[in-house]
Amino acid sequence: MQILTAPLPLPSARPWRLRRFANDLGLTIVFCSWAAVLIQLAVGDPQHLYQQMVYSNCIGLIAMLILDGVRLLFVPHLVSGRRWLLPYALLLIITAPVAHYCGIVIGGTILGEGWTPLSKYPNANQFYMILFTLCAIAFMSLIFVNRERVERLKVDRLEARARAEAIERQALQAQLRLLQAQIEPHMLFNTLANLQGLIAIDPERASTMLDHLISFLRATLSVSRAETTQLGQEFAAIEAYLGLMAVRMGERLRYRCMLPDALRAARLPTMLLQPLVENAIIHGLEPHVDGGEIVVEAALDAGRLLIKVSDTGLGLGDQDAHGRSAKGGGVGVATTRERLQALYGADARLDLVPGQPRGAVALLTLPLESA
Amino acid sequence: MTTALIAEDEPILAATLARTLQKLWPALQLAGTAPNGIKAVEQALELRPDILFLDIKMPGQTGLEAAEELAERWDGARPFPQVVFVTAYDDYAVQAFEHAAVDYVLKPVNEARLARTVERLRARVDARSGASTGAGADLDAGLATLVEQMRGLLQQVPAAGSGQAPHLDVIRAAVGNVIRMIPVQDVLFFQALDKYVNVATLDGDALIRLSLKELHAQLDAVQFCLIGRSCIVNMRHVASATRDDFGKLQLALRGRPEKLKVSPLFAHLFRQM
Repeated sequence: MQILTAPLPLPSARPWRLRRFANDLGLTIVFCSWAAVLIQLAVGDPQHLYQQMVYSNCIGLIAMLILDGVRLLFVPHLVSGRRWLLPYALLLIITAPVAHYCGIVIGGTILGEGWTPLSKYPNANQFYMILFTLCAIAFMSLIFVNRERVERLKVDRLEARARAEAIERQALQAQLRLLQAQIEPHMLFNTLANLQGLIAIDPERASTMLDHLISFLRATLSVSRAETTQLGQEFAAIEAYLGLMAVRMGERLRYRCMLPDALRAARLPTMLLQPLVENAIIHGLEPHVDGGEIVVEAALDAGRLLIKVSDTGLGLGDQDAHGRSAKGGGVGVATTRERLQALYGADARLDLVPGQPRGAVALLTLPLESA
Repeated sequence: MTTALIAEDEPILAATLARTLQKLWPALQLAGTAPNGIKAVEQALELRPDILFLDIKMPGQTGLEAAEELAERWDGARPFPQVVFVTAYDDYAVQAFEHAAVDYVLKPVNEARLARTVERLRARVDARSGASTGAGADLDAGLATLVEQMRGLLQQVPAAGSGQAPHLDVIRAAVGNVIRMIPVQDVLFFQALDKYVNVATLDGDALIRLSLKELHAQLDAVQFCLIGRSCIVNMRHVASATRDDFGKLQLALRGRPEKLKVSPLFAHLFRQM
């Protein structure tokens, strides 16, 4: 089933590189501003805080551009692994003077203070600042990596949960399918009893009935292997079932199955239709003294598959003389609705309405899927 | 001449059972076949067979319900038929049958097994025809057996079904536009009427829309007893129980003139201490 195996929408599908870069950028600006404050307090020159801020941010942003650029482009999943430690340390050592020099050049230009030509770089004072820059960007990298690790863990957990849920859902589907494919022992033994009788009375009809039984069993028992089936096959299985029931119930059961040739190849989940037909028999016609007719028809309705199972039996609300509701607890209907919900969401529905003048009508609407 | 009636909704199964019986017991005459639980009772009352095969799962009503109704409506002028239940594989029913020692035949019919049943039935029918000259026993053997078996079955039902629902204290019944509040102690009896239950009190009747079985599950089982398929009586308001000429029990009530018939299945409730 296509729907079941579709990839799950996970958070990691977003453009994570861009997002991470933006995050790091913000963090860098905050970090550099704090560094500037720290430096000015240490130097004891708070009047020039603005200038220091400009320099700090210029240096920091350039360092970040280099580091994040290398990281995000070449080692997207660097988070773990000691083998990246040495190359990264080297990168830091190279980045520190480069970022520092470029930073003071750009900062100087912005502030109009002029800048040190490369030939006089670095002087003793600047050497300490390079060291400071090295410490600062190393610290910054540590924060980045840590943040990423935490995020990664979160995503992993979400993914694991989504996967577990998907597996659970599939298991539930399989379970519901099997539940609906159960052959009622009562039905089977009654059918065998009829066969036993027919062999003596009318061997030819017995043989036909055996054919029906084989088709019915094959369709019902193969359900655990396939998730979808063609409407043509499903109708064949239903006709086999109704054929069996018609032999058993004699004149009390009449039936018609109408399937347009164009819909023969339409796909639908297995064991979706048959329980509805069985319900019509078990709850509608079998307990009805006079029996009645069952009509199964498929049609195309505005691009959707519409399947109608109508019977002229006891009906939905009717109670017999002893207060039992003819439709029982509606377990079969509830299971079918649950399956539809899980398979198609709001795209499919099952309606159960009273028939006219009596009986019940089950209306199944599905998206049309062709093989 | 021994006669049999087969109640079975599936024509081929009815024919098969008839054929097999014919083979095992050529002297047995088939009086008829009934296609559903309602016809089964009607035909049994009309044809008065010696043996009655009742399918459990039939339209109209089940074989068990048919047996219950027949026991209630049998007039006692002739001996009650020997009842044999027929069922397809069904876990619960078969277990219950075994437990209550009910006569039953499984579908598909096994000839050897049916032969044993036929033997037992023959012995009982013979014993009855020998003893029938001394009629006047208040319960004939066929009915006594059925009552015994059905009681065995009925006792198992509540254990399987009802939870411990709180007892009903007050019945809310509509009389015209008014809702009458009737304390259950004041109710003399409940009588099922189609889709309603009639609540009979000293100051008149009222209807409630509830099935008798649902109602019974909500009443104190010691004080309120089922005495048939359609009646629950409040034991505190029963004045006396009388047997009529056919050995059928009738209850007289304190404060109301009605006589209530007791099904043979519940006659044991009114035996002297």
